Amino acid sequence: MRFIRSAALVAAVALGTVACSGGSDGAGGGDAAAHDATGPITVWLSNNEQEVGWGQDVVDAWNADHPDEQVTAQEIPAGASSEEAITAAITAGTAPCLVYNISSAAVPGWVRQGGLVDLASFPDGADYLADRGGDGVDVYQTDGGSYQLPWKSNPVMVMYNKALFAQAGLDPDDPGMETYDAFLDGARAIVDSGAAPSAIWPSPTNDFYQPWFDFYPLYLAETDGTLLVEDGKATFDDEAGHAVADFWATVYSEGLAPKEESTDDAMATGQTAMQLAGPWAIASYGDTIDVGFMPVPTSDGRADVTTFADSKNVSMFTACENQGTAWEFLKFSTNEENDGGLLEATGQMPLRQDLAGTYPDYFAANPAYEVFADQAGRTGDVPSIPNSIEAWQAFREAYSSAVIFGGTSVDDFLSTAADKVDALVGG
Amino acid sequence: MTAVTTGARTGRTHPSAPAGRTRRRWWGGQPIGTLFAAPYLVFVLAIFAYPLGFAAYISVHDYFFTAPGVEVDKPFVGLDNFVTVLTDPQVLASFRNTAVFLVINVPLTVVLALVLASALNAGVRWASVYRVAYYVPYLTASVSLVGVWMLLFSSGGLVNAVLGPLAPDPSWLINKGLAMPTIALYVTWKQLGFYVLLYLAALQNVPRELYESAETDGANGFQRFLNVTVPGVRSATTLALILAIITGTNLFTEPYLLTNGGGPDGASTTPVLLIYQRGIQQQNPDTAAAIGMLLVIVVGLLSLAANRLNREK
Amino acid sequence: MRRWSGALRHVLLGLMALVFAFPFFFMLVGAFQENPTNTPDRLLPTSGWTTENFTRIDSRIDLAGSLLNSLVFTGGVLLGTVVCGTLAGYAVARLDFLGRRLTWVLMLLVQMVPFQLLMIPLYVQITRGYGLGDTYLGMILPFAINTTAVFIFTQFFRALPREMFEAARIDGAGELRILRSIALPLVRPALATVVLVTFIGPWNEFLWPFLITKDATMQPLAVSLANYISNVAQSTANPNGAILAGAAALAFPVVVLFCLFQRYFTASDLGSAVKG
Repeated sequence: MRFIRSAALVAAVALGTVACSGGSDGAGGGDAAAHDATGPITVWLSNNEQEVGWGQDVVDAWNADHPDEQVTAQEIPAGASSEEAITAAITAGTAPCLVYNISSAAVPGWVRQGGLVDLASFPDGADYLADRGGDGVDVYQTDGGSYQLPWKSNPVMVMYNKALFAQAGLDPDDPGMETYDAFLDGARAIVDSGAAPSAIWPSPTNDFYQPWFDFYPLYLAETDGTLLVEDGKATFDDEAGHAVADFWATVYSEGLAPKEESTDDAMATGQTAMQLAGPWAIASYGDTIDVGFMPVPTSDGRADVTTFADSKNVSMFTACENQGTAWEFLKFSTNEENDGGLLEATGQMPLRQDLAGTYPDYFAANPAYEVFADQAGRTGDVPSIPNSIEAWQAFREAYSSAVIFGGTSVDDFLSTAADKVDALVGG
Repeated sequence: MTAVTTGARTGRTHPSAPAGRTRRRWWGGQPIGTLFAAPYLVFVLAIFAYPLGFAAYISVHDYFFTAPGVEVDKPFVGLDNFVTVLTDPQVLASFRNTAVFLVINVPLTVVLALVLASALNAGVRWASVYRVAYYVPYLTASVSLVGVWMLLFSSGGLVNAVLGPLAPDPSWLINKGLAMPTIALYVTWKQLGFYVLLYLAALQNVPRELYESAETDGANGFQRFLNVTVPGVRSATTLALILAIITGTNLFTEPYLLTNGGGPDGASTTPVLLIYQRGIQQQNPDTAAAIGMLLVIVVGLLSLAANRLNREK
Repeated sequence: MRRWSGALRHVLLGLMALVFAFPFFFMLVGAFQENPTNTPDRLLPTSGWTTENFTRIDSRIDLAGSLLNSLVFTGGVLLGTVVCGTLAGYAVARLDFLGRRLTWVLMLLVQMVPFQLLMIPLYVQITRGYGLGDTYLGMILPFAINTTAVFIFTQFFRALPREMFEAARIDGAGELRILRSIALPLVRPALATVVLVTFIGPWNEFLWPFLITKDATMQPLAVSLANYISNVAQSTANPNGAILAGAAALAFPVVVLFCLFQRYFTASDLGSAVKG
């Protein structure tokens, strides 16, 4: 009992502390004066070596011309830990002015926190976004506001190991695996011939973003670009969703893909012959294995396949004290010249209109990337919805138990996941 | 607790005037203790009181984190978050998974650590080499150890190669029934060095004469272990039990790394993994805080039980 | 009989030592391989040795600087824990004073709360409340006194024979003197445990120092290496060599320190001290 009394005392003291410090929050974000102010700013870049190199060049060029508006660049790792850091920084009001390499899925949550600046609130904001990105930019709006600048995409295609394909008796230059049936036949040939122990190896884990690299690209392809959620309703409990889920269920039940996370880079060690990947893979694998790329399969093998964009974007934060400078720097870093530099340095596709026409020299010199430039014109992305990450997590868990592990039926998975997503998105 | 009775007794050994007694009852027999404990108390109040109280506050509100200066209504909702959490099958499963973990990990850790520590303490040659070997997994960061564990327990790994036809299908970490026990084994292995060290330190305080007199009474090695060693390190066992329970209930890194995000059908989801997913990834700190509060209560009760059980033995 | 049990003991200890040292072996071998994989047949490689994994780390991060930051971080934590922890542990175990039970309950409570629950409020408090963002103090503060260590001290002071303290008190020794001349020497074996458990926390801690500072010149080794690993894992075809080399670079200083000081982890025979 003494324990309980003491614990109650501790709780009371603690609550007192909260009550005292609760009122001390001064007005911080949404400061009208900050909106047009100029001066030094801080930006965060993804710590990918090529991107840091690009970023440092852009910052140096800017700083040389703007002695009173110096930009400081810091590196943060891509992925989960940086999203935690950003969420914490928004809450404490210590976020930087701009963060490059943001995933769209996290944006609705940060908007709800009041952490992001609507770029359309700058006089030339809406025009700049539309001029650079074209019609596609509307998809990236949240609650009618432009809280992210669509920066670059990594359109997802099927990467394959040409040597293993040849070993399995498939034509390495034109495997002809555009339809589900042809794809499955090809996959069986790879495993049966012993060319590789598995045909394709998507990560089977339960991370909320894994659907972007198995179910979602094929669903976008099958529907010519229908997002997972449209007009506040889940779309996937339909014929197309069934076809895609059945396709992956067949892949797993026939043992064409392992149900376990690879302990290695399965592509590099020849443990698998295919992987869904973006243009970054060319730089990663180009030197070690001969890889080819083909569009993701559809049920009917149509031409002009749509896929998942896997975009990374730029956002401005309300904690920024010199938003005028931040906006000018954002425009500078995403102008035609610096976008070209990004393409050159990283091979990732800037999200701007007519890529192939804007940078003809680059694609002439790097023909391997041309197929991605073409694909970049037909992509869908993560819908901007409330409880975005929670919805993807619910979707993933249902998918995993039905499609990967075969514990529940595909019908059940689609209808229960759709109900859950509807409930999350609606409220 | 033991400490309380000790204090009372020390107080009694110094009889003094009535006025002094009242003062003593208030300040205690050795008021200088307040001074000794003050830095730690100040530290805890300054660092943990606010976040902890805040977590309690969040758990009874419809809450989410906002940027400073953003005014949003965050109404008081009573126990709603707790009801939500307690009716969520995923949360209940995560507590069940933790129970599986504790049942395997805690006894294994305590028994193995005590056996190894007393074997080391008996003065074998190369004791220092052995000691270093035992501490290595504890010293090494999980990122590299997980790679080794995968090498051992993946479908085509060493363990399955040795087991041959006896290998489980599906393999260990993707098997609903085996994912959590495999993680429990991993954590036992990773943490054991620390508990060995704990027991080694405790064994230094077991008077050697007790062993000698037991030996003259004709007790064999096993009997000496049971009748001298085990009672001699009782307070270290309480400590080991409580620490193992706390480590087990706060399990996060291992299921996160080994079975990324909770394993097959959430078979290795733990409460802290859910706190992380809901509170930080999905930005629902209110239900996350409710899970956290429940967890603290459960751990508190378990630690109390461990303390009592070991004292009354 | 005697020899048998001795042999048995050696077999047990040796077997367990193999099981425990195996990952370190794996890590070391992999760190010096051109292309390490997780397949069993690569455990005893005969070719493909290289130091390139380490030179690449060295070219990308400032090893000496991060090591220094790590030492500042862990050193601060160790100092705070050992000084304040012995005092608090001794007081709770052996003294009767106002707030004793409260301290004990707090000690249990603080350990039971998962860090993931407190992370964001703690960050807000340290950066906004105390204005300690981007400072070493802000990095150290949440770890400054390791509660598990205080808990271990308490439990060890409790295990010491009560009679010794009472005898000293009857002899008229002050509490400070009892602490200095009786309690501290006897608790030395626990000190080694405490140093180890305290050291390992901040040394391997990634999330907190990363949250508190984005300034690369202030980041400890664990943060630099984790960032390096996440970066390499994304952008090279076979990241295993880099990951293992990074882990080895992080573990190496600890193992060296541990081997150097390992004789302090064996306590001298205290039986006579207790008797006297």
